[in-house]
Amino acid sequence: MPENPIRCLILACGNTLRGDDCIGPWLAHWAEKRFSADPAVNIVSRQQWTPELAEDIARAESVLFVDSSAASEPGEVKLVPAAPAAGHPALATHHANAPQLLALANELYGLQPRLAFLLTIGAGATNLGEEFSEPVKRALPAACALLETTVHGFLTGNIPRPIGQRS
Amino acid sequence: MSQTITIDPVTRLEGHGKITIQLNGQGEVEDAHFHVTQVRGFEKFSEGRPYYEMPGLMARICGICPVSHLIASAKACEAIMSVRIPPTAALLRRMLNLAQMVQSHALSFFYLASPDLLLGMEFDPKLRNILGVAAAKPELGRAGVALRRFGQHIIELLGSKRVHPGWVVPGGVTEPLSGAKRDEILTILPEAYANIGLALAAYKQIADRFQPEIDVFANFPSNFMALVNEDGSIEFNTGALRLIDAQGAIIEDGITASQYAEAIGEAVEPYSYTKFAYYKPLGYPQGSYRVGPLARLNIAKSMGTPRAEKELVEFKQLASGPVLSSFHYHHARLVEILYGIEKIEDILNDPGILDKQVRATAGVNRLEGAGQAEAPRGVLHHHYKVDENGKMLWANLVIATGQNNKAMNQGVLQAARHYVKDGKFTEGILNRVEAVVRAFDPCLSCSSHAFGQMPLAISLLSSNGDVIDRVVRS
Repeated sequence: MPENPIRCLILACGNTLRGDDCIGPWLAHWAEKRFSADPAVNIVSRQQWTPELAEDIARAESVLFVDSSAASEPGEVKLVPAAPAAGHPALATHHANAPQLLALANELYGLQPRLAFLLTIGAGATNLGEEFSEPVKRALPAACALLETTVHGFLTGNIPRPIGQRS
Repeated sequence: MSQTITIDPVTRLEGHGKITIQLNGQGEVEDAHFHVTQVRGFEKFSEGRPYYEMPGLMARICGICPVSHLIASAKACEAIMSVRIPPTAALLRRMLNLAQMVQSHALSFFYLASPDLLLGMEFDPKLRNILGVAAAKPELGRAGVALRRFGQHIIELLGSKRVHPGWVVPGGVTEPLSGAKRDEILTILPEAYANIGLALAAYKQIADRFQPEIDVFANFPSNFMALVNEDGSIEFNTGALRLIDAQGAIIEDGITASQYAEAIGEAVEPYSYTKFAYYKPLGYPQGSYRVGPLARLNIAKSMGTPRAEKELVEFKQLASGPVLSSFHYHHARLVEILYGIEKIEDILNDPGILDKQVRATAGVNRLEGAGQAEAPRGVLHHHYKVDENGKMLWANLVIATGQNNKAMNQGVLQAARHYVKDGKFTEGILNRVEAVVRAFDPCLSCSSHAFGQMPLAISLLSSNGDVIDRVVRS
């Protein structure tokens, strides 16, 4: 059974050398500074999400997954609930997504975060480089504000309101 | 009319490859190949770079075993510099390499192989994965996750990053170990011991059920090669190479990194971007050999740590001479995980482990250098040539998967001939053919320095080369 519960886990993903794919690590870095004085917030940033993170997720009361999205319009900010994947979908050893990690945490430890959301910004360009595309640059302030609001919601027991979710 | 079965991509591998099985007019398997289908060319694009950049560049070949590339590359650079690294740096590198071996073996056994071993070769392929294992055997799933984290955490503590740490440099390491980090690693050892104990016990309980697979999973006489110390004990960082035959007799001993190129050649086959290493005096393919955990345990006379020593004695009882079935790679991996944990504990308790002198410096003193180390999948060799200014002129990398390439191909053929009858096959049969390759835990990114996604695929070809069936998995 995982020990040392985490009240709020921010789990970011992305490659810092591939343009807009760095959205996750960039927001994680921003969150590290913003919540540096708050021990309730734990931030983990990885190039890829791997199965080992299931243990951190199982320890967390709430999880905010942060990533770029190739499915959204460039610069589009979304916040959607994340739920465990149904069944036992194949899980790659090098990269997993939020539903797979939630499912693995449930299977291995029998534990789920009370709240789990996925915050994304639509990627405009993921070429080699350390610059964001213009749509992403414009979206960053809104994404930071949404991240902050969501974390406060997690810590105060208020369920965040999804943004950009298709009905 | 003959036919060909294609498995493309072969799944649960570190790399992208495919298998083709050629049938004759009677529906019997005539030939089979394991193809590695991608190429990256690290050796070529390193030309022109300063030699001291090589460890950092070469580590990018692989996200699973970057540490082995770092170490072999740094050793090749140190041969160019003609320096001997400080003893504490050597100990720290050894610990880093063992931590990587633990996490890589945990990945191979628990994430890639255990769905076959714990759920069964015929289990529903949609559920035959790590999530299925987590549901059926959560305690083993947790052990696997924890052992992987154990190795990765040590790598992160030492090198600041879990993947591609830049801590190993020509001349040693960039930073000594702090007392706080040593104490932190010591606190996580008991859980690691418990987890590998659980895994070994579980494996031994189920291994006998797989006797039919043990009989035909690349089970044939071959040579084996691995690093050993002078006393014959297992070695991962220093020592010299020993090559034995299928009866266990030593063919050649004491092959150092600088002698490697004289002893080992690389053949090319038209169906793979991965080369086929062989022992030159025996020629190709007679001089082919196997490397990795099975080879290391077959060659080692002792482990040098008490718990792993007991396991080695038990392992060697599997056969009267070298253990020949590649199915036993799985067992060997678990023994090596135990050894790695014990050895890390030994290193942490070494009185000199916190010494601050961890790096030697020098310039170019030779125009050629080679380094070798045991990677999780087998011995890894880096060989460089530079100009007077240290600019890279030439590089050659001989990777474990290339050294196992002939045996993997023979193993695929052996299993295909055993299982595919009258041109008929089931998903379970194809999974067994894939599982032969999986037992070797090949790293195709390393072996071809390949780029891209990592699944593998099977084709069934008719005698005139037409594809009559093809299994593609994502």
